[in-house]
Amino acid sequence: MSVDALSEKAEFQRRARFIWLRGLAEKTGVFLGAIALWEILARTVIDPFWMSMPSLVAERLWKLAVSGDLLYHTQATVLQAMLGLVSGLLVGVAAGVVLTRYSRAAEAMNPIIMGLYSLPRIALAPLFIIWFGIGLLSKVMMVFSFVVFIFLLNTMQGLRAVDQDLVDLMRSMRAKPGFIAWRVQFPSILPWLVNAARISVGLALIGSVLGELLGANRGLGWYVEYSGGRLDTTGVFAGLVALMVVAIALNTVVDLVERWLVPTRP
Amino acid sequence: MIDGARPDAGDLTLSAARPKAAHPRVRLEGVGKDFVDKKGATLTVLESIDLTVEEGEFVAIVGPSGCGKSTLLRHISGLMPPTRGSVFVDGALVTEPPPDVGFMFQRDTLLPWASVYDNIRVGLQLNGTPQDAFEPRIGQLLDLLGLKAFRDFLPSSLSGGMRQRVALGRLLAYAPALYLMDEPFGALDAMTKMAMGRELLRIWSLEHKSVIFVTHDIEEAVGLSDRVIVMSAHPGRIKSDYRIDLPRPRDFREVRLLPRFRDLCETIWRDIGLE
Ligand SMILES: Nc1ncnc2c1ncn2[C@@H]1O[C@H](COP(=O)(O)OP(=O)(O)OP(=O)(O)O)[C@@H](O)[C@H]1O
Ligand SMILES: [Mg+2]
Repeated sequence: MSVDALSEKAEFQRRARFIWLRGLAEKTGVFLGAIALWEILARTVIDPFWMSMPSLVAERLWKLAVSGDLLYHTQATVLQAMLGLVSGLLVGVAAGVVLTRYSRAAEAMNPIIMGLYSLPRIALAPLFIIWFGIGLLSKVMMVFSFVVFIFLLNTMQGLRAVDQDLVDLMRSMRAKPGFIAWRVQFPSILPWLVNAARISVGLALIGSVLGELLGANRGLGWYVEYSGGRLDTTGVFAGLVALMVVAIALNTVVDLVERWLVPTRP
Repeated sequence: MIDGARPDAGDLTLSAARPKAAHPRVRLEGVGKDFVDKKGATLTVLESIDLTVEEGEFVAIVGPSGCGKSTLLRHISGLMPPTRGSVFVDGALVTEPPPDVGFMFQRDTLLPWASVYDNIRVGLQLNGTPQDAFEPRIGQLLDLLGLKAFRDFLPSSLSGGMRQRVALGRLLAYAPALYLMDEPFGALDAMTKMAMGRELLRIWSLEHKSVIFVTHDIEEAVGLSDRVIVMSAHPGRIKSDYRIDLPRPRDFREVRLLPRFRDLCETIWRDIGLE
């Protein structure tokens, strides 16, 4: 590489870093501005009873963190979400593979699948409580019911979108079905699965919190509900902030997984 | 095996000198293909194709677009059964992809998520090459194809011609006994085409595999092959079968200077022009 190219590359990297830093500064600025606005409004025009105030919420979060309650509730919500997510992924992908293999069965089951998929999941809550009780299982199943179809449908669409010429090319060299599955089909559907995971992370939190609202004694959703019942808006907001942080953290995990698994994406 | 010339590499009449195999490499008997569209209408793409390709023979197929050349290769490769007639490879009826047949599609079919290196490696993995031979063999192929600097590139960051060379590399790595090549040089510029054509002739003269080579370029067809099959369309049939009696070994470029080369090209051009 010539000196010119080197310095050009350094210049390019410097510029990229500058743009990144500027973006970060802008995001932080907007965020802090919003918090400040909230605090000012709460201290001047709006009674903190209705929407609490950032300083109170921060104080509450600190107390919850110190007492260990924050971890206790967060753990429950995240655990339910993760168990549901993983079981939904396993079952959804497996069912997607099987239904793609047996396309007539898939055709026949399509109305049922679409029907279940469009059903408002909250309407299933009473059944889930009868079937699975009010313990961990009913929450996990609630999450599962939200995410399984996302994985199922994405797997089926991803498999349909596999480049048939790539499969044929491998077949022409007498590749075994396992080789084709591993070298062609699996990498083809990876972006679809990551996409499904991205959608599912949000849904899993919804399912997990929904499960807690229906009957629980721990979890961030439960804490929000409990605080709301006592007209403790600071508690409600503390719970919401914690949920938001969890959501952001989970999304970041998906981002990292994506960057690791699907490096070709621009 | 690209290097390591065999003693008979310079023989002018290789195919004649070799003992005749028990079976021709490929035999098509009365092959026909109909496609049925969604409305139930039948489109006859191929009709009564009879063709024999001997071991070590280099056969080019030319014909108008849509006459069924790619479909014919699919039948031979066992990827798609014909509607009528039978296909034999090495004497065995083709019902599934036969062993030792390598197919280079008209479209470069590279794994988009795999590097140049990994794409070529597929050919070695599928022909049972031991793992420790991968690195040197792929290095050799990358050299040959002028892709050394691109071994870690993904197909999306290569030009069309480079992608075609990678596909050719994978085919050479697979090292089949029968090469099915569907317009393998279609995306190459004149210079690279010349270099690749030379290289293909060199490899073929060393290893003496059978080649069925589909092209739109009549000069290319005459320059490379022992026979040029001309097809006509609607339905696709074999119209003529020209024996190319140019001397071997040939230089893909210099052979064009021979008057006989001009004659053959002219004859075939006129044949196609009569359509
Ligand atoms: N899977 C398919 N289903 C329906 N019709 C097909 C299919 N494959 C090919 N055909 C039709 O068969 C005919 C021949 O196609 P084919 O690809 O074999 O032509 P070709 O000679 O290779 O043409 P070209 O030189 O343009 O590559 C075309 O009319 C095409 O529309
Ligand atoms: Mg074609």
